[in-house]
Amino acid sequence: MRSPQFIYSTTFHWALTVAAVLAVFVTLLFGFIYWKTDKYLIARSDSMIVGNMNIIAAVPEEDRRLNAVNQHLKEDPRSLQYAGLFSPDGHRIGGNLERIPPELKLNDTVQSVPVVKMVSGGKEEDRVIRAIARRAPNGEVLVVGREVDEANKISHVVGLAVTLGLVPGFCLCLLAGAWLSVRAQRRVEEVNQRVQRIIAGDLRERLPYRSIDEPFSKLAIIVNGMLDKMETMIHALAGVGNDIAHDVRTPLTRARLTLERGRTNATTLEQLQTVVDRSITGIDQALTIVTALLRLAEIENSRRSAGFGDVALDEMLDEIRDIYEPIAENKNITLHVEAPQRLTVRGDRDLLVEAVANLVDNAIKFTPEGGRVGIELLRDEGAAIVRVTDTGCGINAQERDAVQRRFYRSDKIRNTPGVGLGLNLVAAIVKLHGFRLMIFSGPGCRVEIVCPDGPAWTQVAPTETRRGSLPQSLSTVVSSS
Amino acid sequence: MAKLLLIEDDRETAEEITAELADCGFTVEWASNGIEGLDKARALRPDAMIVDRLLPGMDGLTVIEALRKDQVRTPVLVLSALGAVDDRVRGLRMGGDDYLTKPFAFVELIARIEALLRRPAESRDRMLRAGPLELDLIERTVKRGNREIDLLPREFRLLEYMMQRSDQLLTRAMLLEEVWNYKFVPATNLVDVHMGRLRHKVDGPGDIPMIHSVRGTGFILRTGL
Repeated sequence: MRSPQFIYSTTFHWALTVAAVLAVFVTLLFGFIYWKTDKYLIARSDSMIVGNMNIIAAVPEEDRRLNAVNQHLKEDPRSLQYAGLFSPDGHRIGGNLERIPPELKLNDTVQSVPVVKMVSGGKEEDRVIRAIARRAPNGEVLVVGREVDEANKISHVVGLAVTLGLVPGFCLCLLAGAWLSVRAQRRVEEVNQRVQRIIAGDLRERLPYRSIDEPFSKLAIIVNGMLDKMETMIHALAGVGNDIAHDVRTPLTRARLTLERGRTNATTLEQLQTVVDRSITGIDQALTIVTALLRLAEIENSRRSAGFGDVALDEMLDEIRDIYEPIAENKNITLHVEAPQRLTVRGDRDLLVEAVANLVDNAIKFTPEGGRVGIELLRDEGAAIVRVTDTGCGINAQERDAVQRRFYRSDKIRNTPGVGLGLNLVAAIVKLHGFRLMIFSGPGCRVEIVCPDGPAWTQVAPTETRRGSLPQSLSTVVSSS
Repeated sequence: MAKLLLIEDDRETAEEITAELADCGFTVEWASNGIEGLDKARALRPDAMIVDRLLPGMDGLTVIEALRKDQVRTPVLVLSALGAVDDRVRGLRMGGDDYLTKPFAFVELIARIEALLRRPAESRDRMLRAGPLELDLIERTVKRGNREIDLLPREFRLLEYMMQRSDQLLTRAMLLEEVWNYKFVPATNLVDVHMGRLRHKVDGPGDIPMIHSVRGTGFILRTGL
């Protein structure tokens, strides 16, 4: 026969343990009560025995002492009392004891001694009683004793109480344990069914919950929150996938058409070479997109900080000026760099150059001839800021979020060449460093990389071990000016 | 004639590369996995090696590390579909070897192999000479014949690199990596703009042009006037 499943559950094991502990505790408690009561009863009984002894011994006349003994025994309806008067040589003079108990010492203290009790019908019974013996001045021995059967009765009552209290308590514990574990198992089974549905692809499925205060429900709510986020992300990813497919397909289609037409129409080697060149250009465009995407993934996935060191931003900006000044000049754009102070941040130099170069590249690209591109390095509220400004078409409020999406290209710049991944790269690099990317629009466009001092670095460090969960505060922030 | 060893597991890619290299006058040996590649590298002592990074048996970088441990200094060009932002690749470039991301153009491959084979010898000379050009590495001055040429620091580095590899095709990607230290390809035609300025200074009016563009690929500094 198979035992029910709940027997193996942790909850049930816990209940079992609790029940056992309870049993031990209750037994100890009752044991203690019994021990204390017993001690108290014996003490009380002893003082009574001493009292009786004193009363009987205080009777002055020797002949009346026997009467006192008999009187004392007569006054005991439960026949718990023992008394005996013995001659100096140990012969019984009176009382209900046959002889002086051999173990009883004549030292006038109360002690436990075995005696033989005569019960009705001439039978004898062995009893252990508390007794005291005293030798009178005339040599006679007086023994007074008492049965302490209350202790036995008490132990019986205590035993009964333990049984009555413990057995139902123990059973209750087991029942509660079984009930709880069955209930937990039912919830787990329920959750499991839903999770299986999610695994099977139903992303809209959520875990059930009842009330907010119950721990299981709290857990379910937390998991549901995670599922919401994942669902959004998966949909976003699917969207990106579509964008990629579309963006890659365009140049590939062009290449294919060129090749197909060339195959039919080209008659000379030269014509054929032109066709092939044009096709290669198309394929290269597709490859550029793929390369940019892989690069993006590479940066987003690299949580490594091995390449991190101190990067002097002012020197970096000088270098970027070096690189981009001729390009700006060619387009008749003024490139103005202002890095008056030395500011250092922790980061990967190559990646930071790439990020700023991308921003400057964009700025130059989207600024019409005769415009101005500015690169500034400033310090503000415990952060180093690299600010790139231009006098181009700007980014309006609605587009500010969108520009950081992959492949987003504003309608205003449809005709400027580019892949549309530049800002994504910048955002990914900035995020990796724990910096913030801020995009403002005014006349033209203003983009800032805000590099907070020290703390941001210590904040970003744990992400090395805890993959993929950047704190919200580190995510890219887009705000309006 | 230079002897090359190609370690590449994809047969079709290997055949294309071999054919192209043979057209350019190289002798090519092919190994299809890391272990065979390591054996051939030890036995054949090629002048340069082209190694795919992901190989069955033993990965490409491990093959190179094993060779380096044996004090084999053969220059290596690593091919890979993986990007190049990891530390092992940085180390590779530091050691004078090269890394090329798949897919690549044949011109790029050939140019890089030529560059590897003609790696400039460690020279302590302060003067670099190429045709009528003379470059002083200490004084940081450049002369063409008797004419002093005034260069910006970046232009100086560009010309220095080109003079060390005169008469070799230098692709844009190579220049970006070596002169600008860029690990990425920027959107703008940065190299062309800078090269245009350098050319303007080097090839003055009336001079025979030394800096030549190779369409769609890169540049050559020609010394044979």
